[in-house]
Amino acid sequence: MPLPDESLPKNTVSYFFLEAMRRMWVSKRTSFVAIAMIAISLFIVGAFLLVAENLGRAVAHAGGTSRVNIYLNSDATPQQIAAVDSWLAAHHDFAGRKFVSKEAALARFREYFANLSGVVGQLDENPFPASFECEVAPGVAQSPAFASQAAELRAIAGVEEVQFDWEWVEKLKKLINLVNLAGLIAGGLLAIAAAFTIANVIRLTMLLYREEIDIMRLVGATERMIRGPFLIEGILQGLLGAAVAVALLAAAFLAGRHFLAPRNSLLWGFLFNGFLPWQKLAALLAGGMLAGYLGSWMSVRESGEET
Amino acid sequence: MIHFYHVTKRFDAYSTALHDVTFHIEKGEFVFLTGASGAGKSTLLKLILRQMQPSEGQVVVNGRNLKAMKRSQLPFFRREIGMVFQDFKLIERMTVFENLSFILTVLGVPPREHKKRAYGALRAVSLHHKLNSYPLQLSGGEQQRIAIARALINDPLVIVADEPTGNLDPDLTQEIVQIFAEANLRGSTVLIATHDRELIEQSGRRVITLDHGRITDEKVAVPQRAPRVESIFGIGG
Repeated sequence: MPLPDESLPKNTVSYFFLEAMRRMWVSKRTSFVAIAMIAISLFIVGAFLLVAENLGRAVAHAGGTSRVNIYLNSDATPQQIAAVDSWLAAHHDFAGRKFVSKEAALARFREYFANLSGVVGQLDENPFPASFECEVAPGVAQSPAFASQAAELRAIAGVEEVQFDWEWVEKLKKLINLVNLAGLIAGGLLAIAAAFTIANVIRLTMLLYREEIDIMRLVGATERMIRGPFLIEGILQGLLGAAVAVALLAAAFLAGRHFLAPRNSLLWGFLFNGFLPWQKLAALLAGGMLAGYLGSWMSVRESGEET
Repeated sequence: MIHFYHVTKRFDAYSTALHDVTFHIEKGEFVFLTGASGAGKSTLLKLILRQMQPSEGQVVVNGRNLKAMKRSQLPFFRREIGMVFQDFKLIERMTVFENLSFILTVLGVPPREHKKRAYGALRAVSLHHKLNSYPLQLSGGEQQRIAIARALINDPLVIVADEPTGNLDPDLTQEIVQIFAEANLRGSTVLIATHDRELIEQSGRRVITLDHGRITDEKVAVPQRAPRVESIFGIGG
Protein backbone atom coordinates (compact mmCIF):
# COMPACT_ATOMS: atom_id res chain seq x y z
CA MET A 1 0.00 0.00 0.00
CA PRO A 2 1.57 3.34 -0.98
CA LEU A 3 2.10 5.91 1.73
CA PRO A 4 0.36 9.27 1.30
CA ASP A 5 2.29 12.42 0.50
CA GLU A 6 3.02 14.83 3.29
CA SER A 7 -0.17 16.68 4.16
CA LEU A 8 -1.76 18.18 7.22
CA PRO A 9 -4.70 16.79 9.15
CA LYS A 10 -7.71 19.10 8.96
CA ASN A 11 -7.70 20.14 12.60
CA THR A 12 -4.05 21.19 12.68
CA VAL A 13 -4.50 24.88 11.93
CA SER A 14 -6.21 25.48 15.26
CA TYR A 15 -3.53 23.29 16.88
CA PHE A 16 -0.80 25.49 15.31
CA PHE A 17 -2.34 28.70 16.64
CA LEU A 18 -3.07 27.36 20.11
CA GLU A 19 0.42 25.88 20.41
CA ALA A 20 2.07 29.05 19.10
CA MET A 21 0.19 31.23 21.58
CA ARG A 22 0.88 28.84 24.43
CA ARG A 23 4.61 28.78 23.66
CA MET A 24 4.72 32.57 23.42
CA TRP A 25 3.05 32.74 26.81
CA VAL A 26 5.47 30.22 28.30
CA SER A 27 8.47 32.18 26.90
CA LYS A 28 7.06 35.61 27.69
CA ARG A 29 10.35 37.41 28.13
CA THR A 30 12.03 36.24 24.95
CA SER A 31 8.81 36.79 23.01
CA PHE A 32 8.65 40.32 24.41
CA VAL A 33 12.16 41.05 23.13
CA ALA A 34 11.23 39.87 19.65
CA ILE A 35 7.98 41.84 19.62
CA ALA A 36 9.76 44.97 20.90
CA MET A 37 12.41 44.71 18.18
CA ILE A 38 9.77 44.45 15.46
CA ALA A 39 7.80 47.31 17.04
CA ILE A 40 10.84 49.63 17.15
CA SER A 41 11.79 48.83 13.55
CA LEU A 42 8.33 49.35 12.16
CA PHE A 43 7.74 52.46 14.26
CA ILE A 44 10.76 54.04 12.61
CA VAL A 45 9.65 52.94 9.16
CA GLY A 46 6.14 54.21 9.94
CA ALA A 47 7.43 57.58 11.16
CA PHE A 48 9.33 58.12 7.91
CA LEU A 49 6.30 57.02 5.92
CA LEU A 50 4.10 59.42 7.85
CA VAL A 51 6.37 62.41 7.24
CA ALA A 52 6.68 61.51 3.57
CA GLU A 53 2.92 61.02 3.31
CA ASN A 54 2.17 64.46 4.71
CA LEU A 55 4.83 66.13 2.63
CA GLY A 56 3.29 64.37 -0.35
CA ARG A 57 -0.13 65.72 0.58
CA ALA A 58 1.31 69.24 0.74
CA VAL A 59 2.85 68.81 -2.70
CA ALA A 60 -0.37 67.40 -4.11
CA HIS A 61 -2.26 70.33 -2.64
CA ALA A 62 0.10 72.80 -4.30
CA GLY A 63 0.39 70.81 -7.50
CA GLY A 64 -2.88 71.96 -9.13
CA THR A 65 -1.69 75.51 -9.68
CA SER A 66 1.62 77.34 -9.60
CA ARG A 67 1.84 80.52 -7.66
CA VAL A 68 4.09 83.47 -8.53
CA ASN A 69 4.77 85.95 -5.74
CA ILE A 70 5.88 89.41 -6.78
CA TYR A 71 7.34 91.07 -3.68
CA LEU A 72 7.51 94.85 -3.73
CA ASN A 73 10.11 97.11 -2.18
CA SER A 74 9.17 98.25 1.30
CA ASP A 75 9.36 101.84 0.08
CA ALA A 76 7.43 101.28 -3.17
CA THR A 77 5.22 104.25 -3.99
CA PRO A 78 1.52 103.90 -4.81
CA GLN A 79 2.39 104.90 -8.40
CA GLN A 80 4.96 102.11 -8.67
CA ILE A 81 2.43 99.63 -7.25
CA ALA A 82 -0.15 100.83 -9.76
CA ALA A 83 2.40 100.41 -12.57
CA VAL A 84 3.09 96.84 -11.56
CA ASP A 85 -0.65 96.17 -11.34
CA SER A 86 -1.13 97.60 -14.84
CA TRP A 87 1.68 95.43 -16.19
CA LEU A 88 0.13 92.33 -14.67
CA ALA A 89 -3.31 93.24 -16.00
CA ALA A 90 -1.86 93.67 -19.46
CA HIS A 91 -0.26 90.22 -19.47
CA HIS A 92 -2.80 87.43 -19.79
CA ASP A 93 -0.81 84.78 -17.80
CA PHE A 94 -0.59 87.08 -14.76
CA ALA A 95 -4.12 88.43 -14.99
CA GLY A 96 -5.51 86.41 -12.03
CA ARG A 97 -3.66 88.54 -9.52
CA LYS A 98 -4.29 89.40 -5.90
CA PHE A 99 -2.69 92.28 -4.02
CA VAL A 100 -1.52 91.51 -0.47
CA SER A 101 -0.74 94.65 1.53
CA LYS A 102 1.93 94.81 4.24
CA GLU A 103 -0.83 94.73 6.85
CA ALA A 104 -2.52 91.73 5.26
CA ALA A 105 0.84 89.89 5.10
CA LEU A 106 1.43 90.56 8.80
CA ALA A 107 -2.07 89.38 9.69
CA ARG A 108 -1.55 86.22 7.67
CA PHE A 109 1.73 85.50 9.47
CA ARG A 110 0.06 85.97 12.84
CA GLU A 111 -2.67 83.56 11.79
CA TYR A 112 -0.32 80.87 10.46
CA PHE A 113 2.35 81.15 13.15
CA ALA A 114 0.34 81.89 16.24
CA ASN A 115 3.27 80.96 18.49
CA LEU A 116 5.54 83.58 16.89
CA SER A 117 3.07 86.43 16.69
CA GLY A 118 4.41 87.91 19.92
CA VAL A 119 7.89 88.19 18.44
CA VAL A 120 6.57 90.23 15.51
CA GLY A 121 4.63 92.44 17.87
CA GLN A 122 7.88 93.53 19.52
CA LEU A 123 9.29 94.92 16.26
CA ASP A 124 9.12 98.66 15.57
CA GLU A 125 7.79 98.30 12.08
CA ASN A 126 6.02 95.72 9.96
CA PRO A 127 8.80 93.61 8.31
CA PHE A 128 6.55 92.01 5.68
CA PRO A 129 6.58 93.44 2.16
CA ALA A 130 3.46 94.02 0.10
CA SER A 131 3.10 91.62 -2.80
CA PHE A 132 1.04 90.46 -5.74
CA GLU A 133 0.07 86.78 -5.82
CA CYS A 134 -0.69 85.31 -9.23
CA GLU A 135 -2.13 81.83 -9.83
CA VAL A 136 -0.59 80.49 -13.02
CA ALA A 137 -1.24 77.19 -14.80
CA PRO A 138 1.78 74.87 -14.16
CA GLY A 139 2.39 74.27 -17.89
CA VAL A 140 2.56 77.99 -18.61
CA ALA A 141 4.65 78.76 -15.55
CA GLN A 142 7.52 76.56 -16.65
CA SER A 143 7.63 77.72 -20.30
CA PRO A 144 10.56 79.80 -21.70
CA ALA A 145 8.17 82.61 -22.73
CA PHE A 146 6.99 82.90 -19.15
CA ALA A 147 10.59 83.10 -17.92
CA SER A 148 11.28 86.10 -20.17
CA GLN A 149 8.10 87.79 -18.95
CA ALA A 150 9.25 87.21 -15.37
CA ALA A 151 12.59 88.83 -16.19
CA GLU A 152 10.73 91.80 -17.63
CA LEU A 153 8.67 91.99 -14.44
CA ARG A 154 11.75 91.99 -12.26
CA ALA A 155 13.00 95.08 -14.10
CA ILE A 156 9.95 97.19 -13.22
CA ALA A 157 10.62 99.85 -10.57
CA GLY A 158 9.32 98.90 -7.12
CA VAL A 159 9.64 95.13 -7.66
CA GLU A 160 11.99 93.55 -5.11
CA GLU A 161 11.75 89.87 -6.05
CA VAL A 162 9.75 87.47 -8.19
CA GLN A 163 9.34 84.00 -6.59
CA PHE A 164 7.93 80.82 -8.11
CA ASP A 165 6.50 78.26 -5.69
CA TRP A 166 7.13 75.29 -8.04
CA GLU A 167 10.77 75.62 -7.11
CA TRP A 168 10.08 74.63 -3.52
CA VAL A 169 7.55 72.04 -4.71
CA GLU A 170 10.36 70.44 -6.69
CA LYS A 171 12.63 70.64 -3.67
CA LEU A 172 9.88 69.12 -1.53
CA LYS A 173 9.46 66.26 -3.99
CA LYS A 174 13.19 65.52 -3.73
CA LEU A 175 12.91 65.68 0.06
CA ILE A 176 10.00 63.22 0.00
CA ASN A 177 12.05 60.79 -2.07
CA LEU A 178 14.93 61.20 0.37
CA VAL A 179 12.68 60.64 3.39
CA ASN A 180 11.17 57.55 1.78
CA LEU A 181 14.60 56.19 0.94
CA ALA A 182 15.97 56.89 4.42
CA GLY A 183 12.91 55.24 5.95
CA LEU A 184 13.26 52.18 3.77
CA ILE A 185 16.99 51.83 4.48
CA ALA A 186 16.73 52.41 8.24
CA GLY A 187 13.56 50.37 8.55
CA GLY A 188 14.87 47.63 6.29
CA LEU A 189 18.06 47.26 8.32
CA LEU A 190 16.12 47.24 11.56
CA ALA A 191 13.59 44.78 10.15
CA ILE A 192 16.44 42.43 9.20
CA ALA A 193 17.81 42.76 12.75
CA ALA A 194 14.32 42.09 14.09
CA ALA A 195 13.98 39.00 11.88
CA PHE A 196 17.26 37.68 13.28
CA THR A 197 16.03 38.39 16.80
CA ILE A 198 12.90 36.39 16.08
CA ALA A 199 15.05 33.65 14.55
CA ASN A 200 17.03 33.42 17.79
CA VAL A 201 13.90 33.46 19.91
CA ILE A 202 12.41 30.63 17.86
CA ARG A 203 15.73 28.77 18.03
CA LEU A 204 15.66 29.03 21.82
CA THR A 205 12.07 27.83 21.89
CA MET A 206 12.96 24.90 19.67
CA LEU A 207 15.80 23.98 22.01
CA LEU A 208 13.36 24.13 24.89
CA TYR A 209 11.06 21.74 23.04
CA ARG A 210 13.78 19.55 21.53
CA GLU A 211 12.72 16.42 23.40
CA GLU A 212 9.10 17.01 22.55
CA ILE A 213 9.97 17.49 18.89
CA ASP A 214 11.84 14.16 18.93
CA ILE A 215 8.78 12.44 20.41
CA MET A 216 6.54 14.07 17.81
CA ARG A 217 8.75 12.74 15.02
CA LEU A 218 8.75 9.24 16.53
CA VAL A 219 4.98 9.04 16.73
CA GLY A 220 4.57 10.10 13.11
CA ALA A 221 4.17 13.88 13.11
CA THR A 222 5.20 15.42 9.80
CA GLU A 223 7.81 18.15 9.62
CA ARG A 224 5.06 20.60 8.67
CA MET A 225 3.16 19.69 11.79
CA ILE A 226 6.26 20.08 13.95
CA ARG A 227 7.37 23.33 12.34
CA GLY A 228 3.91 24.85 11.90
CA PRO A 229 3.53 26.20 15.45
CA PHE A 230 7.01 27.74 15.32
CA LEU A 231 6.27 29.48 12.02
CA ILE A 232 2.94 30.73 13.38
CA GLU A 233 4.75 31.88 16.53
CA GLY A 234 7.12 33.99 14.42
CA ILE A 235 4.26 35.40 12.35
CA LEU A 236 2.28 36.24 15.50
CA GLN A 237 5.30 37.95 17.06
CA GLY A 238 5.76 39.97 13.87
CA LEU A 239 2.07 40.88 13.74
CA LEU A 240 2.01 41.88 17.41
CA GLY A 241 5.17 43.95 16.96
CA ALA A 242 3.65 45.69 13.94
CA ALA A 243 0.39 46.31 15.79
CA VAL A 244 2.32 47.86 18.68
CA ALA A 245 4.27 50.01 16.18
CA VAL A 246 1.05 51.25 14.53
CA ALA A 247 -0.52 51.98 17.93
CA LEU A 248 2.57 53.92 19.05
CA LEU A 249 2.67 55.79 15.77
CA ALA A 250 -1.01 56.75 16.07
CA ALA A 251 -0.46 57.87 19.67
CA ALA A 252 2.61 59.91 18.67
CA PHE A 253 0.69 61.43 15.75
CA LEU A 254 -2.27 62.43 17.90
CA ALA A 255 -0.01 63.78 20.64
CA GLY A 256 2.04 65.70 18.08
CA ARG A 257 -1.03 67.17 16.47
CA HIS A 258 -2.39 68.15 19.88
CA PHE A 259 0.76 69.62 21.42
CA LEU A 260 2.92 70.72 18.47
CA ALA A 261 0.38 71.86 15.95
CA PRO A 262 -1.85 74.65 17.20
CA ARG A 263 -4.67 75.28 14.82
CA ASN A 264 -3.64 76.94 11.56
CA SER A 265 0.06 76.69 12.26
CA LEU A 266 1.69 76.42 8.85
CA LEU A 267 4.92 75.02 10.28
CA TRP A 268 3.45 71.90 11.94
CA GLY A 269 0.10 71.90 10.28
CA PHE A 270 1.23 70.21 7.09
CA LEU A 271 3.26 67.58 8.97
CA PHE A 272 0.19 66.54 10.96
CA ASN A 273 -2.29 66.93 8.18
CA GLY A 274 -3.41 63.31 8.31
CA PHE A 275 -2.42 59.79 9.44
CA LEU A 276 -1.21 57.01 7.19
CA PRO A 277 -3.78 55.59 4.77
CA TRP A 278 -5.05 52.09 5.47
CA GLN A 279 -2.99 50.63 2.63
CA LYS A 280 0.25 51.73 4.29
CA LEU A 281 -0.95 50.55 7.70
CA ALA A 282 -1.77 47.18 6.15
CA ALA A 283 1.69 47.16 4.56
CA LEU A 284 3.29 47.79 7.97
CA LEU A 285 1.32 44.89 9.50
CA ALA A 286 2.21 42.67 6.55
CA GLY A 287 5.86 43.73 6.88
CA GLY A 288 5.86 42.69 10.53
CA MET A 289 4.34 39.33 9.69
CA LEU A 290 6.85 38.82 6.89
CA ALA A 291 9.81 39.64 9.16
CA GLY A 292 8.40 37.23 11.76
CA TYR A 293 7.87 34.51 9.20
CA LEU A 294 11.38 34.90 7.76
CA GLY A 295 12.88 34.82 11.26
CA SER A 296 11.08 31.65 12.27
CA TRP A 297 11.69 30.09 8.86
CA MET A 298 15.44 30.62 9.31
CA SER A 299 15.29 28.67 12.57
CA VAL A 300 13.02 25.80 11.57
CA ARG A 301 15.00 25.31 8.35
CA GLU A 302 18.01 24.40 10.48
CA SER A 303 16.07 21.89 12.57
CA GLY A 304 15.53 19.25 9.94
CA GLU A 305 17.67 16.56 11.58
CA GLU A 306 16.01 13.23 11.40
CA THR A 307 15.09 11.39 14.57
CA MET B 1 5.78 -8.13 8.17
CA ILE B 2 9.24 -7.49 9.70
CA HIS B 3 12.25 -8.78 7.78
CA PHE B 4 15.93 -8.30 8.59
CA TYR B 5 18.40 -9.36 5.89
CA HIS B 6 22.03 -9.62 7.04
CA VAL B 7 21.73 -6.45 9.09
CA THR B 8 24.85 -5.06 10.74
CA LYS B 9 24.82 -1.87 12.76
CA ARG B 10 28.15 -0.27 13.59
CA PHE B 11 28.46 2.91 15.63
CA ASP B 12 32.20 3.16 15.09
CA ALA B 13 35.15 0.92 14.33
CA TYR B 14 35.15 -0.50 17.86
CA SER B 15 31.43 -0.67 18.58
CA THR B 16 29.12 -2.96 16.62
CA ALA B 17 25.61 -3.34 18.02
CA LEU B 18 24.32 -5.94 15.55
CA HIS B 19 26.26 -8.49 13.48
CA ASP B 20 24.74 -9.97 10.35
CA VAL B 21 21.25 -10.35 11.83
CA THR B 22 18.65 -12.11 9.70
CA PHE B 23 15.14 -13.00 10.85
CA HIS B 24 11.54 -12.80 9.62
CA ILE B 25 8.36 -12.07 11.53
CA GLU B 26 5.21 -12.79 9.60
CA LYS B 27 1.97 -10.84 9.69
CA GLY B 28 -0.07 -11.59 12.83
CA GLU B 29 2.81 -13.15 14.76
CA PHE B 30 3.54 -12.41 18.42
CA VAL B 31 7.28 -12.59 19.02
CA PHE B 32 9.52 -11.94 21.99
CA LEU B 33 13.02 -10.54 21.55
CA THR B 34 15.29 -11.26 24.46
CA GLY B 35 18.86 -10.96 25.52
CA ALA B 36 21.00 -9.44 28.22
CA SER B 37 21.48 -5.70 28.54
CA GLY B 38 23.67 -4.51 25.66
CA ALA B 39 22.73 -7.47 23.48
CA GLY B 40 21.35 -5.13 20.79
CA LYS B 41 17.61 -5.32 21.46
CA SER B 42 17.01 -1.57 21.55
CA THR B 43 19.17 -1.01 18.46
CA LEU B 44 17.13 -3.60 16.60
CA LEU B 45 13.88 -1.87 17.58
CA LYS B 46 15.28 1.51 16.54
CA LEU B 47 16.07 0.05 13.13
CA ILE B 48 12.45 -1.09 12.79
CA LEU B 49 11.18 2.42 13.54
CA ARG B 50 13.95 3.83 11.31
CA GLN B 51 15.36 5.90 14.10
CA MET B 52 18.64 4.78 12.60
CA GLN B 53 19.78 3.08 9.41
CA PRO B 54 21.71 -0.18 9.23
CA SER B 55 25.39 -0.04 8.30
CA GLU B 56 24.86 -3.11 6.13
CA GLY B 57 21.90 -5.19 5.09
CA GLN B 58 18.22 -4.38 4.59
CA VAL B 59 15.27 -3.87 6.90
CA VAL B 60 11.82 -4.37 5.38
CA VAL B 61 8.71 -3.55 7.41
CA ASN B 62 5.20 -3.98 6.05
CA GLY B 63 6.64 -4.39 2.56
CA ARG B 64 8.72 -1.19 2.72
CA ASN B 65 12.45 -1.20 2.43
CA LEU B 66 13.36 1.36 5.08
CA LYS B 67 16.66 2.24 3.46
CA ALA B 68 14.90 3.30 0.27
CA MET B 69 12.03 5.10 1.96
CA LYS B 70 11.72 8.84 1.25
CA ARG B 71 12.09 11.03 4.28
CA SER B 72 8.76 12.70 3.58
CA GLN B 73 7.04 9.31 3.93
CA LEU B 74 8.66 8.41 7.23
CA PRO B 75 5.93 10.00 9.44
CA PHE B 76 3.22 8.02 7.65
CA PHE B 77 5.21 4.83 8.03
CA ARG B 78 5.66 5.48 11.75
CA ARG B 79 1.93 5.97 12.19
CA GLU B 80 1.51 2.31 11.22
CA ILE B 81 3.71 1.28 14.12
CA GLY B 82 2.68 1.48 17.75
CA MET B 83 5.92 1.91 19.63
CA VAL B 84 6.26 1.57 23.40
CA PHE B 85 9.54 3.15 24.41
CA GLN B 86 11.61 1.97 27.34
CA ASP B 87 11.68 5.54 28.69
CA PHE B 88 7.97 6.02 27.83
CA LYS B 89 8.56 9.26 25.90
CA LEU B 90 5.48 10.98 27.26
CA ILE B 91 5.28 14.75 26.90
CA GLU B 92 5.58 15.96 30.47
CA ARG B 93 3.82 19.29 30.05
CA MET B 94 0.74 17.58 28.64
CA THR B 95 -1.89 15.73 30.64
CA VAL B 96 -2.50 12.06 29.94
CA PHE B 97 -5.46 13.01 27.77
CA GLU B 98 -3.42 15.60 25.86
CA ASN B 99 -0.64 13.07 25.25
CA LEU B 100 -3.16 10.76 23.62
CA SER B 101 -5.09 13.54 21.94
CA PHE B 102 -1.88 14.78 20.32
CA ILE B 103 -1.42 11.41 18.59
CA LEU B 104 -4.99 11.57 17.37
CA THR B 105 -4.34 15.08 16.02
CA VAL B 106 -1.28 13.76 14.17
CA LEU B 107 -3.45 10.98 12.76
CA GLY B 108 -6.10 13.45 11.63
CA VAL B 109 -8.84 12.15 13.94
CA PRO B 110 -11.54 14.86 14.41
CA PRO B 111 -11.22 16.53 17.86
CA ARG B 112 -14.77 15.55 18.84
CA GLU B 113 -13.67 11.90 18.83
CA HIS B 114 -10.53 12.42 20.90
CA LYS B 115 -12.11 12.08 24.32
CA LYS B 116 -13.93 8.88 23.44
CA ARG B 117 -10.86 7.30 21.82
CA ALA B 118 -8.53 8.37 24.62
CA TYR B 119 -10.92 7.12 27.28
CA GLY B 120 -11.24 3.78 25.51
CA ALA B 121 -7.45 3.38 25.22
CA LEU B 122 -6.94 4.27 28.88
CA ARG B 123 -9.70 1.93 30.00
CA ALA B 124 -7.83 -0.90 28.30
CA VAL B 125 -4.87 -0.24 30.60
CA SER B 126 -7.12 0.51 33.63
CA LEU B 127 -6.04 4.13 33.85
CA HIS B 128 -9.18 5.90 32.62
CA HIS B 129 -9.39 7.74 35.94
CA LYS B 130 -6.00 9.39 35.25
CA LEU B 131 -7.19 11.28 32.19
CA ASN B 132 -6.30 14.69 33.61
CA SER B 133 -3.10 13.76 35.44
CA TYR B 134 0.34 14.80 34.26
CA PRO B 135 2.94 12.08 33.57
CA LEU B 136 5.13 13.19 36.47
CA GLN B 137 2.19 12.72 38.84
CA LEU B 138 2.08 9.03 37.92
CA SER B 139 4.21 6.09 39.03
CA GLY B 140 6.66 4.47 36.61
CA GLY B 141 4.23 1.61 36.05
CA GLU B 142 1.37 3.99 35.32
CA GLN B 143 3.50 5.95 32.86
CA GLN B 144 4.39 2.66 31.21
CA ARG B 145 0.72 1.84 30.76
CA ILE B 146 -0.05 5.30 29.38
CA ALA B 147 2.73 4.74 26.83
CA ILE B 148 1.10 1.41 25.93
CA ALA B 149 -2.31 3.07 25.59
CA ARG B 150 -0.77 5.65 23.27
CA ALA B 151 0.85 2.94 21.15
CA LEU B 152 -2.42 1.01 20.81
CA ILE B 153 -4.80 3.92 20.29
CA ASN B 154 -4.69 3.60 16.52
CA ASP B 155 -4.85 -0.22 16.22
CA PRO B 156 -1.44 -0.19 14.49
CA LEU B 157 -0.32 -2.82 12.00
CA VAL B 158 2.80 -3.46 14.06
CA ILE B 159 3.32 -3.06 17.79
CA VAL B 160 6.91 -2.80 18.95
CA ALA B 161 7.56 -2.58 22.68
CA ASP B 162 10.86 -2.09 24.44
CA GLU B 163 10.73 -3.60 27.94
CA PRO B 164 7.03 -2.74 28.35
CA THR B 165 6.73 -4.61 31.63
CA GLY B 166 9.99 -3.46 33.16
CA ASN B 167 8.29 -1.24 35.71
CA LEU B 168 5.28 -3.38 36.45
CA ASP B 169 4.47 -5.83 39.22
CA PRO B 170 3.69 -9.44 38.20
CA ASP B 171 -0.10 -8.99 38.14
CA LEU B 172 0.11 -5.90 35.97
CA THR B 173 2.65 -7.66 33.76
CA GLN B 174 0.09 -10.36 33.00
CA GLU B 175 -2.55 -7.71 32.36
CA ILE B 176 -0.33 -5.83 29.92
CA VAL B 177 0.71 -8.98 28.08
CA GLN B 178 -3.00 -9.76 27.79
CA ILE B 179 -3.58 -6.34 26.21
CA PHE B 180 -0.84 -7.04 23.65
CA ALA B 181 -2.32 -10.48 23.04
CA GLU B 182 -5.74 -8.95 22.35
CA ALA B 183 -4.20 -6.44 19.94
CA ASN B 184 -2.49 -9.40 18.28
CA LEU B 185 -5.84 -11.16 17.95
CA ARG B 186 -7.25 -8.03 16.30
CA GLY B 187 -4.54 -8.39 13.66
CA SER B 188 -1.52 -6.46 14.90
CA THR B 189 1.90 -8.03 14.58
CA VAL B 190 3.61 -7.78 17.98
CA LEU B 191 7.31 -7.71 18.83
CA ILE B 192 8.21 -7.30 22.49
CA ALA B 193 11.76 -6.86 23.70
CA THR B 194 12.17 -8.06 27.25
CA HIS B 195 14.64 -9.85 29.49
CA ASP B 196 11.85 -11.20 31.71
CA ARG B 197 12.58 -14.93 31.27
CA GLU B 198 9.51 -15.99 33.23
CA LEU B 199 7.20 -13.90 31.07
CA ILE B 200 8.71 -15.41 27.92
CA GLU B 201 8.60 -18.97 29.13
CA GLN B 202 4.94 -18.75 30.14
CA SER B 203 3.95 -17.17 26.83
CA GLY B 204 4.31 -20.12 24.50
CA ARG B 205 5.33 -17.64 21.80
CA ARG B 206 8.25 -17.50 19.42
CA VAL B 207 11.41 -16.10 20.99
CA ILE B 208 14.43 -14.55 19.28
CA THR B 209 17.49 -14.39 21.51
CA LEU B 210 20.25 -11.89 20.92
CA ASP B 211 23.71 -12.05 22.44
CA HIS B 212 26.37 -9.46 21.71
CA GLY B 213 24.52 -8.38 18.60
CA ARG B 214 24.07 -11.86 17.13
CA ILE B 215 21.00 -14.08 17.03
CA THR B 216 21.97 -17.07 19.14
CA ASP B 217 18.62 -18.80 19.42
CA GLU B 218 15.22 -18.77 17.74
CA LYS B 219 12.53 -21.07 19.15
CA VAL B 220 8.98 -21.29 20.40
CA ALA B 221 8.82 -21.10 24.17
CA VAL B 222 7.24 -24.04 25.93
CA PRO B 223 4.85 -22.75 28.61
CA GLN B 224 5.97 -23.72 32.10
CA ARG B 225 3.29 -24.81 34.54
CA ALA B 226 4.21 -22.33 37.22
CA PRO B 227 1.67 -19.53 37.41
CA ARG B 228 2.63 -17.32 40.27
CA VAL B 229 -0.63 -17.54 42.24
CA GLU B 230 -0.59 -21.32 42.12
CA SER B 231 3.00 -21.53 43.20
CA ILE B 232 2.40 -19.15 46.08
CA PHE B 233 -0.61 -21.07 47.40
CA GLY B 234 0.67 -24.53 46.49
CA ILE B 235 -2.41 -25.33 44.42
CA GLY B 236 -2.21 -27.92 41.67
CA GLY B 237 0.36 -30.49 40.92
